Amino acid sequence: MLRVHDLVTAYGKIEALKGVSLEVAQGSITCLLGPNGAGKTTLMMTIAGVLKPKSGSIRFSESEISALPAHAIVSRGIALVPENRLVFPTMTVLENLHAGAYQRRNGFAEDIERLFVRFPRLKERSEQLAGTLSGGEQQMLAVARALMSRPKLLLMDEPSLGLAPLIVEEIFAIIAELHRDGTTIFLVEQNAHMALKVAHRFYLMEQGRVTFSGDPGSLAEDEVIRRAYLGSSKN
Amino acid sequence: MDEYAIGVLTSIGLLSFVAASAYLLLTAGELSFGQQGFFGVGAYSGGIATAMLGLPLPVGILMAMLFGAAAAALVGLSTLRLRGLHFAMATLAAAEMLRILFELFHWQMEVGGETVGPDGTQGFRGIRWVFERGVEPLGFLFIVYGMLAFMVLCFVFLERSKLGATLRALGEDPQLAGMLGIDVLRLKLAVVAAAGALAALGGALFAHHNTYIEPRNFDIMLGVHSLAYALIGGLGTVFGPLLGVALDLGVLEGTRFFQGYRMIVFGGLVALLLVWRPRGLLDERFVHWLRTRR
Amino acid sequence: MIDFIQNTLDGLTAGASYALLGVGFTLIFGVLRRANLSYGPAIMFGAYLATWASFSFKGLLLLAAIAVAGTVLAGVYVERLCFAPHRRGPAAAAMVASFAIWMQLEEFATLLLPRHLYAFPALYEGGPLNFGPFFVRVESLLILLAAVATCIAGWGILYATRFGIAVRAVIDDPRAAELSGINVGAVSLRVFAAASAIGGLTGFLIVASHEQVTPMLGMWSTLKGMLAMMLGGLGSLPGAIAGGLALGLIEAHSQWYLGPQFRDFIAYLLLFALLAARPRWMNTRSAY
Repeated sequence: MLRVHDLVTAYGKIEALKGVSLEVAQGSITCLLGPNGAGKTTLMMTIAGVLKPKSGSIRFSESEISALPAHAIVSRGIALVPENRLVFPTMTVLENLHAGAYQRRNGFAEDIERLFVRFPRLKERSEQLAGTLSGGEQQMLAVARALMSRPKLLLMDEPSLGLAPLIVEEIFAIIAELHRDGTTIFLVEQNAHMALKVAHRFYLMEQGRVTFSGDPGSLAEDEVIRRAYLGSSKN
Repeated sequence: MDEYAIGVLTSIGLLSFVAASAYLLLTAGELSFGQQGFFGVGAYSGGIATAMLGLPLPVGILMAMLFGAAAAALVGLSTLRLRGLHFAMATLAAAEMLRILFELFHWQMEVGGETVGPDGTQGFRGIRWVFERGVEPLGFLFIVYGMLAFMVLCFVFLERSKLGATLRALGEDPQLAGMLGIDVLRLKLAVVAAAGALAALGGALFAHHNTYIEPRNFDIMLGVHSLAYALIGGLGTVFGPLLGVALDLGVLEGTRFFQGYRMIVFGGLVALLLVWRPRGLLDERFVHWLRTRR
Repeated sequence: MIDFIQNTLDGLTAGASYALLGVGFTLIFGVLRRANLSYGPAIMFGAYLATWASFSFKGLLLLAAIAVAGTVLAGVYVERLCFAPHRRGPAAAAMVASFAIWMQLEEFATLLLPRHLYAFPALYEGGPLNFGPFFVRVESLLILLAAVATCIAGWGILYATRFGIAVRAVIDDPRAAELSGINVGAVSLRVFAAASAIGGLTGFLIVASHEQVTPMLGMWSTLKGMLAMMLGGLGSLPGAIAGGLALGLIEAHSQWYLGPQFRDFIAYLLLFALLAARPRWMNTRSAY
């Protein structure tokens, strides 16, 4: 579904991505691991159209999308749940969801209903300002907002960052659920342990390059963790 | 050299001080709409020193710089934690307050049978110390450029020093600078005061060149212009603001057939230039490239 | 006491135009995080076009439309040339570029109409209204009405329409807005145009109520608008309105008790003092 080939993204003269190639198969959960500074967020932002690559290609369902601006990427069916959530703090939960559905214009009341079933805590707080939500609730809101555009591919950048263990489990349960419902998921995670439990395929990134790819069985878990410089992460 | 050319060159030199003053603040990461206020402080104090207190010009200039630095430090202390547009608006407010104070400032003295002194909106006449000593316009031009050369030397020295690097670090990322142990607030205050002194120096020279100053000389237009000169000329080196002033005054003054359309042409060119070069002609990248070619 | 109330009335009515100018500045600042130094000159451009048209046409509605159209045209020009190219870059470049175009617009206007003063058709031909010992000019009431109408319309758009959600999203977090599928560039342009339209209307009301137009209109509108925006706490729309009204009140009372020279001084002093003291509502976090 998503094919990244030799992608190079630079900040001025500094190349954060030095020729990244990977694939995300339709209907799968693919996970990208790696230490801080490896370029994982840069990769996500480039796919999402926020950053422009210097060279290389990004193909989504057989069409080239690397030159498209962010809002056009959303209309193609890719949505990103960014690192740090990035909810709209002065808007209510409901308004945040409306913003996520911006391109759909009308007829998304049904989607909101379904999301409230999936995320009951958001329903409780639907008139509350997003800036006053807890970290876990904001994460759920960010995911829900991304889902409002009915993406075929959902990108998630460190969904477990800064969240309590129980909430992290909830988030991953939701990821599994979304996958069952047919969404393809490409996920960046620090929490290798949880990520490997759900992923069908994983990639390892270090210093702007992909250094390993395989399925969760192909490398011993602590080998992976060590290679990702994550230290102990038994959560 | 004909008088007209001398006049234009002198104006370029005088404005270069206030442009350099805005440039200094820009490299430290701050936008100021108010350097014209300190230019005015320098003009008035320099004029008072020579025309009313009978002091020689060098002393007058020193006094001007002192007052300029003091006024700037006062503004700086009040606005230390402000950044961006808030700081810029505070400097604008300060400069306008200074201008209105000049409008209210009356102090007349009898000097050599004449009444001399600032007279509110009527201005301050008779700042003739330079011309009373038989200095020709060409001679004054040399004085101005002499001081300008000294200023350039100081800047060049600064840019190659650790302090200069620290300043640029502050300009790039004040949070990071703070985390690296740089005393951000103290440094910022020093820069604001130094920029004020620099503008004041230009002001004192300006007063002695024109022999007459009025509050209207120090209005917002001067301030925003000097900011523009600094940015257009380039933020990579002190020659940037000088280039900016020279381009505006020199090229367009010289091409008189643009009379009446000057700003339409120049304004459009500036906006286009900034699209291509957002940090000016002699920006940091270009200067770095020049330096690494040796 | 009577003087106090009369001055308060005068201050509020003057403040209504400042509030409108402040709203225009704040809208642009909200979506673009930059101050548009060409806002006043664009208003002047619109007003000058209307003045030029007034030599041939006298209909007020038509002249208002021309003023609005002219300001929007100038505004879009400024947005495309000075702000769109620098969206991701340094803010100083955008502001200096807008200053350069300020110069351009002013010169164009003065080429069109070179004199220092031009008459403009009156907004209202009759005299002021009397309420007991107080009097209020009908023109001022019209401006107040326009200000209130603009606020209501603005509120409606921002809080009850899809476009409004997009605008508020961009103001809150442009990056998150992009990721939600909102075309930030297009939204910014439309907001810029709307702010210019408000400015154009304000300009028309001001010159029609004074029955004259001068080249100082550009600088004057910019200063008043920026002061109103900053006094109310940068980035807040209700703040801009409050700031504009407060500015009008401060000016009216300062002028009465201290004379015309102190009128502007007090306004600047207040702004400086507020910035120096940095109360929380001033929102003095980094402006870009």
